[in-house]
Amino acid sequence: MKPVTTNFRNKAAETLEDKQIQQSIEHVYTGFFQGRLSAASETPNWEQLRSKGKEIKDHTIAHLDYYLNLLANNVQKNGGNVFFANDAEEARNHIIKIAREKDVKTVIKSKSMVSEEMGLAEAMNDEGFETVETDLGEYIIQLANETPYHLIAPAVHKSRSEVAKLLDDNFREGDPVPDANQLTMLARKKLRSVFERADMSVTGANFAVAESGSIALVTNEGNGRMTTSVPRVHVAVMGMEKVIPSIQDLSTMLRILIRSATGQRISTYVTMVNGKRSPDEEEGPVEFHLVIMNNGRDKLLRDSQTRESLNCIRCGACLNACPVYRKVGGHAYGWVYPGPIGAIVSPVLTGLKDASNLPGASSLCGACHDACPVKINIPRMLLELRYRTAEGSASKSERSSSAKERTVWKLWKIGMMGRRRFDLGSRTSGLLLRPLVRNGWMRIAPPPISGWTLTRDFPSFASKSLKARLSKRNRTSKS
Amino acid sequence: MVDQFAPHIGEHTVDVLDNLGVAVEFASEQTCCGQPAFNSGFRSEAYPVAEKFVEIFERVNGLIVVPSGSCAAMVRNYYKDLFRDDEDLVRRAEKVAGRLFELTEFLYKFFGPSAVRGSSNKTVTYHKCCHLLREIGIDEEPVELLSGLEGIQIVPLERADVCCGFGGAFSVKMPDISSAILDEKLDYIQSTGADYVVAGDAGCIFQMQGGLRRRNSDIRVVHIAEALTDSIERGKRSRNRQ
Amino acid sequence: MTEKEQFISNISAALGRKTIQKPEADHRLSFFESASSINSNADQSIVDSVNRSDQLMDQMSSAAETIGWKVHHASNTEVAASIVAGICKDNNAKNVLRSAHEVLDQIVVDAAISNIGASVEVTEHQGDYSQIDVENTKIKAFAADTGITGVDYAIAETGSIVLHPRSGLSRLVSLAPPIHIAVLRPAEVIASLDELFALERSNFINDQLEGSMNIISGPSKTADIEGTTVTGIHGPLEVHLVIFKDDHIGQ
Repeated sequence: MKPVTTNFRNKAAETLEDKQIQQSIEHVYTGFFQGRLSAASETPNWEQLRSKGKEIKDHTIAHLDYYLNLLANNVQKNGGNVFFANDAEEARNHIIKIAREKDVKTVIKSKSMVSEEMGLAEAMNDEGFETVETDLGEYIIQLANETPYHLIAPAVHKSRSEVAKLLDDNFREGDPVPDANQLTMLARKKLRSVFERADMSVTGANFAVAESGSIALVTNEGNGRMTTSVPRVHVAVMGMEKVIPSIQDLSTMLRILIRSATGQRISTYVTMVNGKRSPDEEEGPVEFHLVIMNNGRDKLLRDSQTRESLNCIRCGACLNACPVYRKVGGHAYGWVYPGPIGAIVSPVLTGLKDASNLPGASSLCGACHDACPVKINIPRMLLELRYRTAEGSASKSERSSSAKERTVWKLWKIGMMGRRRFDLGSRTSGLLLRPLVRNGWMRIAPPPISGWTLTRDFPSFASKSLKARLSKRNRTSKS
Repeated sequence: MVDQFAPHIGEHTVDVLDNLGVAVEFASEQTCCGQPAFNSGFRSEAYPVAEKFVEIFERVNGLIVVPSGSCAAMVRNYYKDLFRDDEDLVRRAEKVAGRLFELTEFLYKFFGPSAVRGSSNKTVTYHKCCHLLREIGIDEEPVELLSGLEGIQIVPLERADVCCGFGGAFSVKMPDISSAILDEKLDYIQSTGADYVVAGDAGCIFQMQGGLRRRNSDIRVVHIAEALTDSIERGKRSRNRQ
Repeated sequence: MTEKEQFISNISAALGRKTIQKPEADHRLSFFESASSINSNADQSIVDSVNRSDQLMDQMSSAAETIGWKVHHASNTEVAASIVAGICKDNNAKNVLRSAHEVLDQIVVDAAISNIGASVEVTEHQGDYSQIDVENTKIKAFAADTGITGVDYAIAETGSIVLHPRSGLSRLVSLAPPIHIAVLRPAEVIASLDELFALERSNFINDQLEGSMNIISGPSKTADIEGTTVTGIHGPLEVHLVIFKDDHIGQ
């Protein structure tokens, strides 16, 4: 997927004005966010599970080379095929090659963010394969020719009437809008025959188990089962960070993933694929392929400050908790991964100079850190990326701060380095701003804080500093 | 910010502590903990300012109380990141941090939930400032402190733990997003029917009060130090009348 | 260097290493458990399942109901079969498919279903069969009204059933038809996901891991349209659990 991260401010502004999206997005809070809180509160060892999840991920990422190697060996031992893709293009080309070699006509996809990085469905359709998204949310946005809005609910921004227009060929503007039930049944009917005739499937992998060469898929709709059972060729794609060491780890990881994503104790279907079909089965894939993709993740890995972002299990809890995401929506982030985790991953994977807005699009409230099932300290990494883009990056192109901004902070520092100049600076500013002040507040403030007063009053400088006041009360010390 | 924009918060802090018999002094040379520059990524500018903070406060005796969750968080949780190339400075900062408390944290820890005796005739609602909540770990304690005030009516704020949208420079760099988040917060505030919103950080207070003024609302946003001091005063007056 | 070796060596370099190194054993992590420990975890899961059978069954039953299973209880084979047939009859099922789980033979389900005028077929082919036979069964699975299976395990923590593949086309039986009936016995109920994966892991180290496994927890559902939960999308719309507690144990 081509990044449009530079368009963040415009897209955000547009979304802020869109009343229908603002209403639709509420669901990520009232549904998913509250769901996670309920599920957590009814799970007695929730905090231990989070700690254990973090332990498993920290360990695995620290030994990623070992576990990926083990995973690949075991997939091959089970009779499967493994392809290591350095980037999205390599991955995409490899999958298209498989489809060609296996004489595939119809490809069904279940939800995979990694496949979005590849722009896979679109590319395969262009190559002449009938490629259909089978997750209802993904199907809807495929029909709308859009990109996912959320990690778990790709079409969360769409209203029912928009969905009706996409799904129902007979629906016209002004008709009574079918309810969610009717629209879902319509989608079931439309996708049914596609399932039946599919030759190949492409799925994601919520987890890949190194010790056995297995993958686990978490779904609710049944498409995760259709895709792993009906077609003769099954291709699973994964970001290289998705590997976990042991089958036993699945009990911890599934518990924290699912409760954090939707608040369910368990998703309707958890499918574990250990390779191709069992010997006496007459269904299931005769060929299993695992595509392990890098696509820039080694940059996150190499840097000890950003390595923790690879612990992410793609549950979406940080999105649901984020006051910024809930206002600007998923498309503003301009690439596959929105929200707090996206604000770290997208800049590093697509280029910090183009995505420099994203780490700044945060009030640093920390709700994401609280929400994360594996306790990723997102705010710390946002601050790190802000440092890189302001002044800290070794690469000049990544340092995108303006001369004006650098000057402002230089002057700020000068003003802060001594008490006398601190007081003098404030006194002077206070005097200069006096004409703007009414009852202790300003309705208009000058740059660099003019943005504030578009919507809020700004307080005036106090006539007497705290030091002055306390000095009068003899409460100041010498130091 | 308190020093130059809202010094009354600082004075009220001193008053609250005075009332508890705590010997309080203002370290004269202090300016800033450095957070604004650090949060904007300009660590080279934040560094000397933060270093100066450490120098000033390592010289004082006793405990350090700050009426701000975000400043306390900066010192306690982020100085080690800022100073990461200087082990010695990290250690010195840790020592200072070990003696530093946010105001309500200090009151609750050393004096308990009924630290402050007083009375109030206000209906208030409490907003949980993000750094105080998530970095310092102070959640319902301020509400407990306020509950001890005779006559006070505390109305719970829906989504009290959701950010007000301030976020420091974020509020002026991305004012449209900051204001959209604020709008939701103010809607919930106005629906409580409270006269006052109590909060622990000046930045959040300016954000919310600045927004309420634009809505021509009479609701006042006050720092918890002020809420507690007013109630102490009121309590004293009512006791004097008896 | 192969593409795999190159990829992995790049990862090692990113981690500051020249080559792959096996991690030092960290006993907090399951990965480093010994084979005997793994087998003993699995044994313990079964022992627990037997010892707390009634308790786990109750837990399973109520957890299952909460997540949308319609739960029925049968005290013997005849009652079990008649419940299954009854569900088919209530839904005017004409074409029923079932897997080769042996519990279905035990309760003689085929006769009960035939008696209500529906056809029932086991989705496996014996002897010689062609790809066309398989295709036909697949088409039948997509057209069937009801699918019946046993279970391999049931998980009390979540109210789920666990299905391993059976011979023939067993996966589609519990997936394609709009109604799925699962017949379950007390001995199959285990406490939680911990026990399930302990058992799977033990299967793995003893070279007995199947090609796949499905954990099924209620009817298929989605909330992708306006956040409204709708039951029944690609998988079954209605799922039944027939808990068959055979009082004639030993027969």
